[in-house]
Formats: sequence, structure tokens, C-alpha cells
Amino acid sequence: MWIIYTLNGLYFAALLFLISLGLNIILGVMGILNLAHGSLYAIGAFIAAWIIIAIGAKIPPFFLYITLLSGFVLTGIVGLIMEKSLIRFMYKRTLEYQLLLTFGALMLLEDVIKMIWGGQAYYASAPFDLLGKADIFGHVYPTYFLFVMIIALIAGLLIWLFMSKTKLGIMLRAISLDREMATGIGLDINRLSTFAFVLGSALAGLAGALVVPTTPALLGFGHEPLILGFIVVVVGGLGSLKGALVGALLVGFTRSFGIAIFPEIELPLLFLIAGIILVVKPEGLFGR
Amino acid sequence: MGLKNKPNYLRWIVYLILFIALLFIPRILSIHDLMLFEYGLTFAIVGLGFNLLLGYTGLLSFGHGAYFAAGAYSVAMIAKYLPQAYSIEIVIPAALFFSLILSIIFGFVCVRHTKIFFSILALSLSMLLFALLFKLYHITGGSDGLRVPLPTMFGFSFKGIRRPEFLSGTYYYFLLAMFAISFVVMKGIVSSPFGKALQAIRDNEVRAELIGIRVRRYRLYAFCISGMFVGLGGALWTFVNGHVTADLSHWVFSGEIVYMTLLGGFGIFEGPIVGAMIFTYLKLYAMGHTEYWMFVIGATLIVLVLLLPSGVAGAFSTLWRRTIKGN
Amino acid sequence: MTKEVSRRKFLKYMGATALTAGSLGTTSKVWGQAKPIPKDPIKIAAVSFLTGAAAAPFGIPGDNTYKMCADMINKEGGILGRKIDLQSKDEAGGVDAQVKLCRKLILEDKVDVVLGYISSASCLAVLPLSDELGGLIIAYDCGTHELMEGAKSPFDIPKFKLGFRSKAHLGIDNIALALYIKKYYPNIKKVAGINQDYAWGRDSWLIFETAMKKLMPQVQVVKTLWPPLGNTDFTAHISALMGSEPDIVHSSLWGGDAVTFSKQALGMGFFKKIRMAYSRGEPYPQEVGKDYPEGQIICCAGTHYFLHTPKDKTSADLQKTFVTEYHKRYGKYPSYPCYHAYQAIYAYKHAVEKASNAAGGGWPTIEAISKALTGLSFPTPSGILTIREDHNGYEDCLVGVSKLTPKYPFPILDKTEVFPAAQVNPPVGTKTVDWINSWK
Repeated sequence: MWIIYTLNGLYFAALLFLISLGLNIILGVMGILNLAHGSLYAIGAFIAAWIIIAIGAKIPPFFLYITLLSGFVLTGIVGLIMEKSLIRFMYKRTLEYQLLLTFGALMLLEDVIKMIWGGQAYYASAPFDLLGKADIFGHVYPTYFLFVMIIALIAGLLIWLFMSKTKLGIMLRAISLDREMATGIGLDINRLSTFAFVLGSALAGLAGALVVPTTPALLGFGHEPLILGFIVVVVGGLGSLKGALVGALLVGFTRSFGIAIFPEIELPLLFLIAGIILVVKPEGLFGR
Repeated sequence: MGLKNKPNYLRWIVYLILFIALLFIPRILSIHDLMLFEYGLTFAIVGLGFNLLLGYTGLLSFGHGAYFAAGAYSVAMIAKYLPQAYSIEIVIPAALFFSLILSIIFGFVCVRHTKIFFSILALSLSMLLFALLFKLYHITGGSDGLRVPLPTMFGFSFKGIRRPEFLSGTYYYFLLAMFAISFVVMKGIVSSPFGKALQAIRDNEVRAELIGIRVRRYRLYAFCISGMFVGLGGALWTFVNGHVTADLSHWVFSGEIVYMTLLGGFGIFEGPIVGAMIFTYLKLYAMGHTEYWMFVIGATLIVLVLLLPSGVAGAFSTLWRRTIKGN
Repeated sequence: MTKEVSRRKFLKYMGATALTAGSLGTTSKVWGQAKPIPKDPIKIAAVSFLTGAAAAPFGIPGDNTYKMCADMINKEGGILGRKIDLQSKDEAGGVDAQVKLCRKLILEDKVDVVLGYISSASCLAVLPLSDELGGLIIAYDCGTHELMEGAKSPFDIPKFKLGFRSKAHLGIDNIALALYIKKYYPNIKKVAGINQDYAWGRDSWLIFETAMKKLMPQVQVVKTLWPPLGNTDFTAHISALMGSEPDIVHSSLWGGDAVTFSKQALGMGFFKKIRMAYSRGEPYPQEVGKDYPEGQIICCAGTHYFLHTPKDKTSADLQKTFVTEYHKRYGKYPSYPCYHAYQAIYAYKHAVEKASNAAGGGWPTIEAISKALTGLSFPTPSGILTIREDHNGYEDCLVGVSKLTPKYPFPILDKTEVFPAAQVNPPVGTKTVDWINSWK
């Protein structure tokens, strides 16, 4: 059974990694903690569920998995609209306004989801059912979960390559390292910030789209992932991409093994570990 | 801060007139509106405490729900486990004590940071309390929460009295008295040398350090005082609400506290009080009239942040000063 | 008494406003002073989950039934000639929002009765408001046995003068499950539990575990898990359960959680080795369809099953019309929340008529309606329902095992067994746990 617990931990970590990666890119480049990140995750889930329900039965299975990318693309567009209409005005404002604006956006988006999709649950399990089960050392395990881990791994690798090898990525890193210096050498901070926000949103949307075949899309879908995303960010270090990975693994494994071994206190245990790390290393594991 | 050009005694006369006006509120409002008003009063105390940290010390906590919950759960736990001690003159000091203890522990960790680090840390710690309240079902009632019966008050028992009667009678005046005391005490704190030191820290940390203010220690003091006021608000709130749940320590609830403070204006001493009142009515009426109440509240917040950053009271104060100058 | 009066005077002096609703202490005459029947419609608030995970399998069917019943009653002339003005309200938003909503319904909207609440958490928070605010509240679907029980047996009844529950508590589901397991699976060795982390899940497991210990002391409990309500990822729970290798897993999961759990458990090969025992599993076979695994033990929270024919003749006829009418309107068969909604709204109707008759006509006072509800007995589509002196319903309970047949597009219940009310309900004034422990 230990191998299954490990896989569960990895699966949960994969989703959290995508969420907190997005959160961290926005935080690193723009210095804004996006409290509406969970809503973007929920929007990704609803969009993917909606498309799968609408056209899932009519297209060949391979394209069904392509439709999951709709969560990535369309949530990115939602992020773009959000950045252009709201976040844009916050760059020069102080912390309290930035946080409260995204808090307002959280409440707003929650009801926008309700207006568009109503209160019912959206079941879109076709991608989950189609992949069937895999045999892992005598244990049955859904292939779809392995698929999610691979996608998260690919996404992580692409982001890493992008950040370290492309010019755009290096410029983004420059901003997160030293904003004033970056302005000084003539980087277009506004456009780069827009890009970072869109990328972060899209990653949240991808996570939502990936999770929806396993569980129905519902109102309030983004609350729990947002909180766990916070823990990952705080533990891993604010704005650190490496931190997002390590933090996600830590939370994923704590949850999986916690439920198997200490089911009564799994949630406080998580916060306790986070608390201890913060007391010992206040800037997080990979924070600056 | 605020209306500096007005002579001080005039200001206190206005306060006194307002206080006397408040004494007649139960005769004017319907029972339902009166209960809303009492929610507003408790949040006004919360706002006063919260603003010591945000407005005067420059620290934004997204986790003050934890101290609210500490106060509220002190009341509920005494009601459940020590019913013989369940009288208001015991539970209020107990609530103050426990919110103080909690804010010392959490504050000690938080004040080592400022800015967004402080906010996130405060948030995470409040979520730790949330997780405990939520998971320790057999003690705290988990997400079901605990019910809070009517307490005895200076020897008076309210058995057989319905909660609305209790709230529209004795309790309203008690609450008003607590509010008045909190108001005066907080006013004293912010105009004392300690309050001035906090403002110096807010404005320039390095200079404050140089003139000999022990920045971190002062921040911790501010944090604890703020936590106690919020805890007091939480304790008083439980009697109005009659029920406590773990959600009080959730960061969304903390977000609402920040919201109220900003709505009124954190640059002004009275701002959070105005904000608490408006927010309470806004939320309840939005909830009563539309399914999409979160949209209304969220949109209001966004408009506020973009167009009215100094809050309602701040805007009025600016307007007032301009008219005076115009004359 | 004098002290009481002086305190009231004191409060008045302090500015207490007089309340419009009659005070509890003044029901001097048995059936009260009925007033002439008002012309305006009766305001009934029906509170169920209209959004969120519990909406599709519970809230919407319950709410649909309220609407259907209100239409049926209005078509027949209403209650004592007054039409029903039904207001559907959403139960979503948590306990605190429900306390505020209920207070608004009673104090500001001045509804005649609040029917509602699916979640046990809502019920525990809201029912005390009945006496606090002087409004009639009938809980229709929530299960926790603690709602109407005192701290230790024998306890004083009724707990709330104006608060009722028009159904039996979760004791019947879990005791019936334990009895069923003892009868059909006498050789099992290990059980486990997965229940939501609040009153409903905690109490369901408590009763089941207590009953199992008494009925099958050789059975060992190997794991108890408490996922939060609205959990989306059950993989960790599923593998933890599989790792502990139980024969039967008890569960009171409901709403979207039960569907998500089934779906993910199917993917992990859970049902190959383990059998589930759902204390409220009746709606899911219809909700999930033919993928729903066969051989799962399912309790109907009473005898609320569309294929069940009650012994009582009137009830059997009601059942026929109810199932046909519901299916005609909504294209589905009524699930147990539908039966519960029927029980609540008709309990109110019968009580008002009974109280009015006893008072010699007119519209009865709220206290008279409350008195009429106590001990009320009337036919419903699933049999005769009695509301006892503890203000709690008293019902039989039906358990069966899921099985696919060619006739329906989802598994139906096979090997059904009806446990009579006396076998699964504790006597009035005794705590359920104490009663089970006193079994010989």
C-alpha cells in the first residue's frame, strides 16, 4: 500500500504545484498576492467541464484530452481581462489596496461563476473513465492520475526552461530579483507584469481543468486549493519556483500519509509543520 | 489625524451628543434592525482594535479573525464546560485574557516581519487556529460550532427570556457601555506617547529606531492590544449571534474585518466605526435582496479601492475641511 | 414567579420592546384562542440546498416536492381555505448564514412556519431559534439524534416547544444497517468507516459503531476517516481504507461527496474487495446510473423508496399517486428527501386542521399548532408517520442491496428488509446510545 500512498501524495502535489507555481510567478514578478487565484482555478474547472459535457461525446478520445487545455487558454484570457481592467491600477498602490482589490475580485468572480454556470454540479468524468486503470505492483490505480502527474511535470519543466533559457523568462526573473534595477535597465515592467499575471492565471486554470474529470465542478471549488496554495508558497518561500515544487511535495505527502496514519489531525498537522518551518526559517525554505 | 483644526473640547461634546443619541436607538429601530445595529457595534470595537495595527502601526493583518475567534470561543467554551461560571463579568475578562495570550504567541512570530510577509504570516497562523477548531470536533464542535445561551449578568439570570428581549433591553446598554469604554481607552492609547511612537514607526522605521524606539517590541505591544480589542468584540458578538463556528478564524472572515476598516477609512480614528456599521447593513441587506450578494460586496470593495481609497469617513472629512476652507 | 415578574419589569424599564408573538408562558387555555381565519395566504419558507454539491441529489428534489405538494394542497382549496405562499430559500453559506436567515424569516418576513434544513449542522444551530424567537420550525431532512435529545437519559421532553422534526433521526438508519449486516453478512471480521467531519458524520458513526459492538462484538473496527464536507479528492482516503482491508465500510457520505467517492473508488478497484454500507445511499444509484456498483448495502432513511408498498391502504394509494405525479413533473423517481419534504408540509397541514377542529374553528395559535403536532399521526406515501412527544418522527426503516435489472437504467434494491419502528427507534426520553447499550 505504501506505493499507492506515495502516488496519492504525488498526484495531490502535482495539482498543488501548478496552483502555487502560478501564485508564485505573480507574487515574484508583481509583488501581489492574488487572493482570487482560487477563483481562477475554479473557472478553469468550469470551462473544461462545460466543454467536455458539450462536445466530449462527439470527438475522438485524443481530442478530449486536448480540450483540457481549454482551461489553460481561456483562464489565461480571463486573467488578461482581469489584469487590464483591475490589477493594472494597483502597481503603484500600497499593500492593503492590492490585497483588498484581489479580495474583492475573489467575491466578484465567485458570483460571476454562479451567474454563468448556476448552482449545480458539473460532472465531466469522460477523460477519467476512458483512461481506465493501471496495474502498479499488484495495486489498481487510475491511469488518469498518472496522466495528471506527467502533465504537471511537463508544465514544470517548460516553465523552468522558459525562465532560464528564453530572453522573456530572464527578464521576468530580473524583475522579481530587483524591480528598481529592472526599470533602470529599461525593461517594460507593465507588459512583463501583464504577461506574468496571464501565465499565473493560466496555470491555475490548467490545474482546475485537470482536476475536473475526477470530481464535479461546484461553487466554492477554489477555496481549499487556495489555502493549501498559500501554505505551499509560505513554506517554499515567497516567489520561489523551486519552493513551489518542494512545498507542494511536502503538503501532498503530509496529506496522503497523514490521512493513512493520523486521520484525526491531518489538517492541523499540515499547519503545524508550516508553522515550525516559519519559526525556524521565517523566509521559507527557498525564500530570499 | 482627522479634524485637527477643530478645538478638542468641541470634539468631545460631539461624541457626548452622539452617545446620548445612541441611548435611544432601541426605541427607534425594529428588533431585527436593532440586532443588526448590535452586530455593527461589536464590529466597531473590532475595527477600533484592528486599526491600531493597520492605521497607526502600518501593519496589515489578514488573520485577525483568530483573535475574534479566541474571544468568541472563550465565551462558548465556558458556557459549555463551566456553566456555573457563565456570567458576563467572568467571561469578558476571560475572553480578554485568552485573546491576549493568543496574540502574544502569534504576534511574537509575526512582528519579526513587515509588509506582505507579515500579512501572509498572520493569515497562516489564523488558519492554524482554524484547522484546530475545525478538526477537534469533540471539544470545539468543529464546523457545527457551539451554541451560546444567554449568560447571567451581575447576578441576574435571564432564564425564560427570549433572546430578542435580552438584546433589546439590558444587553444593548451593556454593549453600548463596552463600546464607549473601548472608544475612550483607544482614543487614550493613540494620543499617548506610545501611540505617537507607533505612528513614528509606521512613517519611518529607521528613524524611529534611531530616536530610540524599540521597534519590534512596540509592534508586539500594538499587536497584543489590537488582539485584545478584537477578542472583546468577538466575545460581545457571540451573545448577539448565539452561535460560534470555526469560520470565525478563517481568513475570509479576517478579510471582512480589513474590508470594514478600509470602508470607513483607516486614516481616521472614527473611520473603522463608520465602516463597521455600513458593512453590517450592506452585507445583510445585500444578502436579503439578491442571490448575488457577494457580487455586490465585491464590486463595492473594488470601486472603493479604485475611487475612494480614504474610505467613507475619510472622504467626508476631506469634504468637511474643504467647505470650512471655502468659507 | 414574583422574581420572574420583577425581572420582566426590570427589562421593560431598561427599554425592552414588547414582542408581537405571544409569550411562551401564557398558554393558559389548552387549545388557545383561535382567531378568525385570515384572508391572506399562509407564508411557508422552505429551506434546502439550492446551490452546491447537495443541490442536485437533495435540495432540488426536496424543493421540487415542496412546490408540488403546495400546488396539490392549493388545488384542493389550501389549508382551512388559505392558499400556501411558498418561498424557497437556499441553505448554502454555512451555519452562521442560516442562523441569520432564519432570524430574518421569523422576525422580519414573519413567515407562519419554516420547513427545512438538510444539514445536521444547520438544524443544530437553527432549531433553538424556534423558542428563542417564538416561531414554528419543522426540520425535514437532517439526521443527528442529538437534535432532540438531552444531556443524559432520561431527559426532559420536548427539548423545544416550537421546534419539530417530521422524520426519525439517524438512529434508524444506522441501527437498521447493523441489524441488516448481522443478518446477511454474519461472518465478517473487520469494518471501517468514512464519514464527514461534522455532527452528521460523527453521530452516524457513533450509533453504527455502538450498535455493531452490541450485535457483533467479534467484529473489529480497523479505520475511521473524517473527510471534510465537500472534499474533492478522496484518493488518500480510499487507499487508506484499502490498506486496512475491511470487509464492510460504513459511510454516511451524502451530496456530491458520495458521488465523487464512488467515482474515484471505482477507478482504484475499491469495490472488488470491499462492500460499502451507506446509511443514506438511496438517491445515488439513480444519480450515478448504471455505473453504480452492485452489491452495496443501502439504507433508505426510513421506508422512503419508490418501489416500496406500505402496508396501510391509504398510504399505498398515496404512494402510487406521489410516484406517478413526481415522475410526470420532474422525469425522475422520488428519492428519500422528496418523501421527507412531503412529510413536513403535510404534517403542518394536518396539525393546523387538527388544532382548528379542537378549538372549534378559526385559525389556531402557534402554541395550538405545536400541541397538535405533538402526537400527530397521518398517512404518507411511505406509510403512517407519527410525531412523538419528543417532537421527533417515528418511522420504520428499509435496507437493501443494489442490483441491476433490465427494467430500470440504474441499480435498484434487492433483498429488501423493513425493520419496524419499535426495533430501530429508542423509546421517548432515552438517549439512543444508552438504549443500544441496554440491549440484551
